[in-house]
Amino acid sequence: MDNVLEVKGLSRSFPGFQLKDISFTLPKGYIMGLIGPNGSGKTTTIKLILNMLKRDGGEVKILGLDNIAEEKAAKAELAVVFDSNYFCEAWTAAQTEAAVSGFYENWDTNRFHQLLERFRIDPAKKVKDLSRGMQMKLMLACAFSYGAKLLILDEPTSGLDPVSRDELLTILSGYIEDGEHSVLFSTHITGDLERAADYITYINRGSLFFTGGKDEFVDSFRIVKGGPEDLTEEIKARLIGLRTHPTGFEALVRTEDLERMRRTGGKAAENRSVRGNRDSETVRFPAYTGALGKSSPVDSWTVEPATIDEIVVFTSKTPDDNGE
Amino acid sequence: MNETLKAARLDFALLRPYWKTLCFIILMPVIYTGVARSLSAGISFEMCMLGITASYTFAISEKNGMERLYGALPVARRHLVFGKYLLICATGLLALGISLVTHTAVLKALGETVHAWEIAVSAVLGFFVYTFYVVFQLPGYYKFGAVGGKMFQFIPVTGYLLTLILLPRVDPNSPVLTAVLGRPGALAGAVLLCCAAAYGISIVVSVRIVKNKEV
Repeated sequence: MDNVLEVKGLSRSFPGFQLKDISFTLPKGYIMGLIGPNGSGKTTTIKLILNMLKRDGGEVKILGLDNIAEEKAAKAELAVVFDSNYFCEAWTAAQTEAAVSGFYENWDTNRFHQLLERFRIDPAKKVKDLSRGMQMKLMLACAFSYGAKLLILDEPTSGLDPVSRDELLTILSGYIEDGEHSVLFSTHITGDLERAADYITYINRGSLFFTGGKDEFVDSFRIVKGGPEDLTEEIKARLIGLRTHPTGFEALVRTEDLERMRRTGGKAAENRSVRGNRDSETVRFPAYTGALGKSSPVDSWTVEPATIDEIVVFTSKTPDDNGE
Repeated sequence: MNETLKAARLDFALLRPYWKTLCFIILMPVIYTGVARSLSAGISFEMCMLGITASYTFAISEKNGMERLYGALPVARRHLVFGKYLLICATGLLALGISLVTHTAVLKALGETVHAWEIAVSAVLGFFVYTFYVVFQLPGYYKFGAVGGKMFQFIPVTGYLLTLILLPRVDPNSPVLTAVLGRPGALAGAVLLCCAAAYGISIVVSVRIVKNKEV
């Protein structure tokens, strides 16, 4: 079994919202980021995977098991961590173990207590007295105590401070290290994914926008900036989430579209400026020297690699958002 | 059965932090028995009080957003329902047992005579009223939640008030009543059968609600 999670054609309609034909696969031993703006359908997708919502169509397989027909067996292999605590706040960490351990045949009490120690959680402390980050670690300790093969996290980092977020990402990296465990990580804080994710599934307005490798996703887009005089109707049609201002414009463009514009328009220079940990360099593209032999508007543009955050922001924009 | 027991244990774990409140609810009606000098009246009041606590596990899980935990656990939804009914039924029986002992002791301490048949009648009556207090409440909580279904908490109070109003109007010399009370074994059997049927129907309704419910 190479894929831990297979989602095919998942659909669900609500009044005013429709999740349409979502398909993706998560291979064993990797972290997949499930991204999209608020209300795009990430939590709905997770709830459909967990059979907490009824699907209108599609299929979900967890470790090859159907999530409805073989729900119990499938859920024994997965763990879920939500954005907030789902244990009784009056329980202590030890009472939490007593309450949930019985449902898992593989529950390892020693491992649970080792994890509490590692996460610095006092077993006698009540859940309500734990910080938000600690509550999340308690959910993780439970998840790791029965050897869940698939960990599903729904917005786990929202509301966490940067230190706790960093700790979580370290824990997740350790979790998948043996190549046997996988993580589906839903978030709108895409900075976390830059570091941790191997794959990205991007859902926008209920539809699948992209699913595949993170590097491929980031490489598929560029941020372009240019002067106001550069904007022709043809160019506008290729730009995504166009933002115009008196001195020019900024937009996202598919890398393939950018290359197409270069081939048909003229030569261009791509400035890879310093962004995060990326190297600063300027690269010339002589191969794109235009056949027309005249300068293209693209020549004067600043072209930069896009971050996941920027891709989500620009692709989520509608023409109305830009005042057009 | 194993799954049902696990689910009952989970619900018991929800109640455990509130054991002092439950003890108070179980023991407090002793005062009523002492004032009314009637075992059956005290037990009836006791079961009314306990019936109100049927919403506790729903309220606690709703307050803590635990429907997400239930949704992630490897257990069929129907077993979660069976577990809850098992726990509530067991809690009722345990409280009934404790009450019969404590209330009888209080009455005897006050110089009252308590006959064995009175204890038996109070036990059957207590189980009967408790059953009818909870079987209507639980599907309501499954459907509307503890907050949305708050009105179902009034079922035990309403039931108790109806008992208080209607009981004095029953003619003790009525031939039907005489015939029924003349066969205590059959009466107890009929009551238990009735309770079992009520639980059965309530469970079926609750399972149907839970299976169709989305979290």
